[in-house]
This record gives sequence, structure tokens and C-alpha cells, in this order.
Amino acid sequence: MALHHTSLTRRALVLSIPLAGLATALVGCNANNPKPGATSSSAAGSATSAAPASKGGTLRILTSSSAVNWDPAISQSLAITSLGLVQRRLTAWKVGSDGVTKVVPDLATDTGQVSADGKTWTFTLKDGLAFEDGNPITAADVKYSVERSFAPQLSGGLGYHKALLVGASDYSGPYDGKQLASVEAKDDKTLVFHLNSAYGDWPWIVSMPAFSAVPKAKDNVKTYTTTPVATGPYRVSKTVEGTSITLERNEHWDPKTDEARGGGPDSIIFQLGQDATVAAQRLIADSGDDQFAFGASFVPAAQLAQVQTSAAKDRLVTSGPGALAYLAINTQAKGLDDVKVRKAISLAVDRNAYRVAVGGEIAGEFADTLITPGIPGRKQYASLLKDVAPAGDPEQAKKLLAEAKWSGRTLKFAIADDAVSSAKAEAIQQGLKRAGLTVTIVPLADDVLTEATTQGDGSKYDLTLGSWQPDFPSANGNIQPLFASDQIGKGGYNISRYSNPKADELIKKATETTDPKESGALWAQADELINADAPVVPLIYTKNSFLHGSKVVGFAIPAFPAYPNYLTVSVAK
Amino acid sequence: MKLARFLLGRIASLVFVLLVVSLLTYAVFVLLPADPAQLACGKPCTPERLQTAREFMQLDHPWFQQWFDFVRGIFTGRTFGTGGAQFTCPAPCLGYSFRLNAPVTELILGRFPVTASIALGAAVLWLLAGVASGVVAALRHGTVIDRGLMVAAITGVSAPSYLVGLLGILLFGFTLDMVPVSGYVPFRESPVDWVWHLVLPWVVLALLNAAIYTRITRGQMLEALSSDYVRTARAKGIGESRVVTRHALRNVAIPITTLFALDLGGLLGGAVITERVFSIAGLGALLMDAVGSTDVPLLVGVTVFTAAIIVAANLAVDVVYSLLDPRVRVGRP
Repeated sequence: MALHHTSLTRRALVLSIPLAGLATALVGCNANNPKPGATSSSAAGSATSAAPASKGGTLRILTSSSAVNWDPAISQSLAITSLGLVQRRLTAWKVGSDGVTKVVPDLATDTGQVSADGKTWTFTLKDGLAFEDGNPITAADVKYSVERSFAPQLSGGLGYHKALLVGASDYSGPYDGKQLASVEAKDDKTLVFHLNSAYGDWPWIVSMPAFSAVPKAKDNVKTYTTTPVATGPYRVSKTVEGTSITLERNEHWDPKTDEARGGGPDSIIFQLGQDATVAAQRLIADSGDDQFAFGASFVPAAQLAQVQTSAAKDRLVTSGPGALAYLAINTQAKGLDDVKVRKAISLAVDRNAYRVAVGGEIAGEFADTLITPGIPGRKQYASLLKDVAPAGDPEQAKKLLAEAKWSGRTLKFAIADDAVSSAKAEAIQQGLKRAGLTVTIVPLADDVLTEATTQGDGSKYDLTLGSWQPDFPSANGNIQPLFASDQIGKGGYNISRYSNPKADELIKKATETTDPKESGALWAQADELINADAPVVPLIYTKNSFLHGSKVVGFAIPAFPAYPNYLTVSVAK
Repeated sequence: MKLARFLLGRIASLVFVLLVVSLLTYAVFVLLPADPAQLACGKPCTPERLQTAREFMQLDHPWFQQWFDFVRGIFTGRTFGTGGAQFTCPAPCLGYSFRLNAPVTELILGRFPVTASIALGAAVLWLLAGVASGVVAALRHGTVIDRGLMVAAITGVSAPSYLVGLLGILLFGFTLDMVPVSGYVPFRESPVDWVWHLVLPWVVLALLNAAIYTRITRGQMLEALSSDYVRTARAKGIGESRVVTRHALRNVAIPITTLFALDLGGLLGGAVITERVFSIAGLGALLMDAVGSTDVPLLVGVTVFTAAIIVAANLAVDVVYSLLDPRVRVGRP
């Protein structure tokens, strides 16, 4: 989930349940961190089974979103949140007792068999899988689900597969009778995917919503949004537009075939459109039905302070360090193409002031590298900012600027026009001023900002703020979208407009490597290489805090993503 | 006959006003650099996919054509896409929300009863409370009661509804645990729960609005009570209660009616902040949601609908006005 500017966050909030942040378990250096993965006092499920701590009852989820779009082609929902309760995909995410999220088989019997060249992936469906109406789930249903994600009527979802499947660029969905040949249903149980190039993270890609199963006979583009055909532990039984969604148990879901989902509560009610402040107050008060509820939105800063001194403290769960918040430097702007100037900016930034502006210690940990904590392969290395105090080193910055013969021109700092962004930007503006850098803050409407940074030639800004959490726990989802040169100016998120053939080559190599250990090492190399060019200033790894009621059990936040795992939450009697 | 002609004329001008409003709304949203297609582009978003989304949403047409399609859709309905997966929007189509995958008209009609429940209940409360306290203040002019009511009124006018709402929730919802703090239950499902969930929003809204009515009623009442016709009435020996209700209050009713119809019309278009605070999914919440997600079709649809209600409220004012005040009766030269 990209938190690149608030606009994307806000959109995501609407398309799905919000998905942001990150968690503990620094894989490379967890010696100081004996208990990775944040969990509440009531512990999560064990490592080998998704069996719920408790069965029965009604779980309530309070969310600020006004709708959940259940259509797998449109949703950007993470594998462990709302859609995961209703729809199974080829693979799923399972959080181990160490807090690390792994990809596990879901509809498929394994996480995919790859051909020697890395371009062909084969999956076999499990026996005895059925839709909520009792009909068997076949390979054709999965193929159809993938195909419909290409229809213009159903755009808006996670579409990483769209650039990878052979022949997909000219394909516009199954509704005019055409099929996508690179998704092959060999028989009722066997699915084969043909890719343009080797892609080692394909098992993660098929955990995304588009890789669930949709029965063609029951497909109606208009109603699938609210009434999907369930394959998971729950089916959507009632929707009151803008108010609530009720999920009831799907009797045709067999827990024995599912290692990711607990299926604890008998029913789950989403209460939509909840004011975040009021929802937090309700969870603090913990009365009546709210004892069986958790908040899907982050706890607002004011309530965060209130909770820490109240009895509700035990029911506050804060994730480990997650999504990387960073200052992007437009590497194509005049003067900023000099790496010395960019390093000077990096040194001059006051990361401490930034963190204070976003809520202090509970808001995150200082960052100095690019790959998000909790992601396999992440390495701590001697980066530029590693031994620099959080408040920065303006003296050193001044020296670098003098060496680079910096022109002293005013830097345009484009941000979203909201109070939170202004506070962040002012903290950075003041930090840079100490080194003699002058910055003008340019607040822009969300869409204008997105367009200025992700489209066109980038002439409208020198600096901008970004925040990024990958959509799947591989460094690929972390490095490639932000730093590959083909992601500049065409809607991609390379907002520092960083282009380095060496980095591109490394990204390509790592992407095509199918062995996770080898690719992890390559991504770590890419992290170091790119960070040495200082296209961005890592600020903090954001932490997210959530509240739950006293009768909620198994409420846990994995190392990745920094978001509660809905699939294993249950309620006490 | 004259009344019929008057009404026809007013309705024609109403339609004209709505056309202008929709045209301006369209122009504003289309001229803004916002791109609703970004919403449907997916992630990652490529320029080709953005173009496909634009074409599907018919955003690639010039804005005046988009507006024309919008107006035509109100009468004939619209369809988006072709083949086996069309989105249809039957007449009267106020646009199609691609984000919520539903016709805007359907969304508005689903939300309107909720907003109407809040607005009507609150309106009755504030009208009764405002007028009654205004009359009392005027009759007890200069006393402690008058001053007390005026201080309360000034507080009510100046208090932000967000604060009053939250304080109300804290006090009555959490501390005293008397009423539910959020949500809405349709009247058909349970009239008791309907009232129970709405009591607090009603009181909060009434508290804020009643203040204005108190002040206006008091001012008008004082003026009326010191006027010649009231003195004449008293001189004729008519009882004081009759003087107040039949002679003075009837004149006060005229400005109050105007204000009331416009306030109610505005509120029917969405009690934005109240709905937000009480987590009630009405038109205001729908509008806020549309703003937050750049859902332009929904924004335009709700704006036009709201404008229609306010224009209709204006019409109602004119009609009621002429009934209340014979001097401005329709058709008089």
C-alpha cells in the first residue's frame, strides 16, 4: 500500500479497508528484539495452525471507510484484511509465531512450480474446494477472475500482474468473449501462467485479490461489488449502504484446507463511516458490543495520548517500525543532479523535528535505509545517516554545499494541502535552513500533487514528501516502484525521478531471481547502491496504533504489514 | 388560476436555476485539475490504463458535452461500456459513481430518508424551542429571564456544532450512558430505536439553530408589541393572550417562515458535520465521502440534488408567505 501523499491514502481508505504502516522484526538485526511482531496480551494463533483461540460470537470492526468493495478486480485490500475473510486466492499470507509473514498455499496445493527459465508458473488446486453455493471451485473460475481484472469496467485494483502476463497489454477482459491465453486452465485443477520475463515474487502476486475465484455464471459487474460469491470462511449476508456490512459463516468453507484463516467468530459486522475520534472513544470506554470490536483506523494522536494513561492501555496495539516516510529530492531538477547537494540536504534534515511533528516516539523510529523493516533480505549497513544524530548535521551539510558550489536558489517543496503535511514540511524547512538552504512550501490539492510528481517532466517541484509500504513483503515491492527508471513520470511512484543504469540492472536481476535468499541479497545490494546516491532522505519507519475491545482475542500485528491480521481475530465468550 | 400561472412560472425558473447550477458545477469540477480517472486506474497506474479508464468514464469528451450528457441522462438514463458488462443508470440519472459502482440517484435516494429524519426532527425541536423562548423573552423584556435566554442564545449561535456534538456524545453517550453514540436505525425497522439514535443529533442541531430563532422572534415580537395595531387591539379590550398569539405572533411568523424553510432546505441537503460526528450515513456523509475521494459524478449529483431542495424550499416560502400575508398575495398588482 502506497502512502505516497495523503491522496493515495484517502483513496485506498475508500477502496478497501485502510492498509498502512509496518512492524518490528528487523530480520537482519533482531538480536535486540526478542519478541518481534506486536501482539496484544491475548496472544495470536500458533505457528503451525490457524485454529482460532475461541469459536463463536460476533466480532465488530469499526472503520472510517464508507464502503468495502468486495469485487476482487477492483479491490486493493491486503491479503490479511477484509477481502481475505470472504475470498481465498491461489496463495495466502500466514503470520508465524515470530511475527514474520510468509506466503502459503491457499486455493492451490503449493506456492507454485516454476519452470527453469522462471517464466512459467504452474499451480494445482486443492481437492474438495467449494463456493458458498456448494459448487466446486475449478481452475477456470480462477482464470476468469484474473481475466475480468483487465475489463475497463473493473479497473482500480492491484494490477501488478497486468504488466507481467504475456499478451496482457492488448487484453480488455472477458466480457466481449475473448480469453487471455497466457492464463491457461489445463484441466479442472491445473493453472499455468506464462510471464513476459522471469519473476521470482510471482507467489506473492497470486495472493492479490484478482487471483481469487469468480464463477462466470454468477458474475454481474454491478452487484459483485456488494455480493461476491464467497470462498473463504464468511459470506456477505447483509449490506446497509454506508452504514454496515454483516458477514455470516460460509458453511462450505473447510478449515482443514486453510492454513491462513481462523474462522473464529460466527459473524463479523463492519460498522462503516465511523468518526475516528468517536470510534477510539468507544473502544476506550469498552462498553456493550464495543467489547467485541476493534478499530480498523489508526488511533488519532489526541486519543493516543489519552489511552497511554488509561486502563485501555493494555488494549492498544502499536506496530513495530513499518512504512518508510521519506523526503524525495527531484534528482532531475537544476543543481539537485549533484549528489553532493543531495547529501547535504540529507545531512541538514532534522529527522527528530519531523518525528515530533507527526506525534513523537510512538509515531515511528528513525530511518536511514530504504527497505522496510520486516522484509526478508533487509540489511543494516553503513549508510550516510547511520551515525548522524536524528537532529542532523548542518555543519557538514554546509561544507558539502560549498564544495558543490551550490547556487543558493530557492527550493520548491510540493506537499498536500492539509495540516499534517504542513507540519511535516515546516519541520523539514527549518532543518534545511540551518545549512543555509531556502525552501518555499507549495501546498497543492491532492490530485494536482499526484499529477505533478508522478506524471510529466517534474518541473514543478524540487522536494516532496513520500511514504511507502510495499503491497507484498518482498524488497521488490519496495525498491522497484520507487527507484526503477521506467517508473518516472508515467504514473509510477519514482518521485525522486532517480535514474541509474546500474540500479536498473540490479533491480532487473533481483526481480528475475526466483530463489528468495539470492534475490534478498540482491535487493539489499540495490538498497545500498541507491541510498549512496541520496535520491531520498529516509525519515522514519512509521508505527501504527490500533485499539480493540476487552473481549477480542488474537488481535495481532505482524512484522509486515503493520496492520492487524483480520483472518485470525476471534472473540471471547 | 392566477395561482396556477404563478406556480408554473416559478417552476420554470426553478428548472432554469437548476440547469445553471449543474452547468456551473460541471464547469468547476471539470476545470479543476482533479482527475477522477486516477481513482479507477489501479496500482500500479500506467498512462495507457489511465486513458482506458478515462474513455470508459466518458471523461475524454469536452466538458460541455459531458454536461449535456448529464442533463440528457436525467431524462433518458445512461449506459457506460459495451457488451456483457454494461453499467446502466436508469432515468432520472444524476450520474454514475464508479467508485461505489452505483447510480448516483440510487445513492441519494438511499441516504435521503436518513438526512430527512435528522433534519425534520431537529427542525421541529428548534422551531418550538426557538419561538417559545423568543416570545417569553419578549414578554419578559428586560428581566433576568430575558437576559438569561439571550446569553444562552448567543452561546448557541457561536458554539461550533462539532464541539457541541462531541461534548454531547461524551456526556450523554459515555459518561451517563443514556443514548447510543452513533449509528442510525430506519423508522420502518424500529420506531423506538429510530428516535433513540436520533435524539442526541436532534438536540444538538436544535440547540444551535434555536438560538437564531429566539433572537429573531424576540426582536420581531418586541417590535410588534409596541406597534399601533397591538395598542389598538389592547384598547379594544382583547385579552392579552389573544393579542400575543393572533395579532403579534402572526406578524412574527412571516420572517420566521422564510428563515425556517431555507434552513430546513439547507439541512435536507445534508447535515454534514452532525452526520460525521454521529457516524450517520446521510447525504452529508455521502458528500464528504465524494469530496475525499474525488468522486466527481457523485459530487455533481449531490450538489444538484441539494440545489434542487433549496430552490424548492424557496418556492415553498413564496407560497406560504402569500398565505400568511394577504398583502403579498399572488396576483396583486
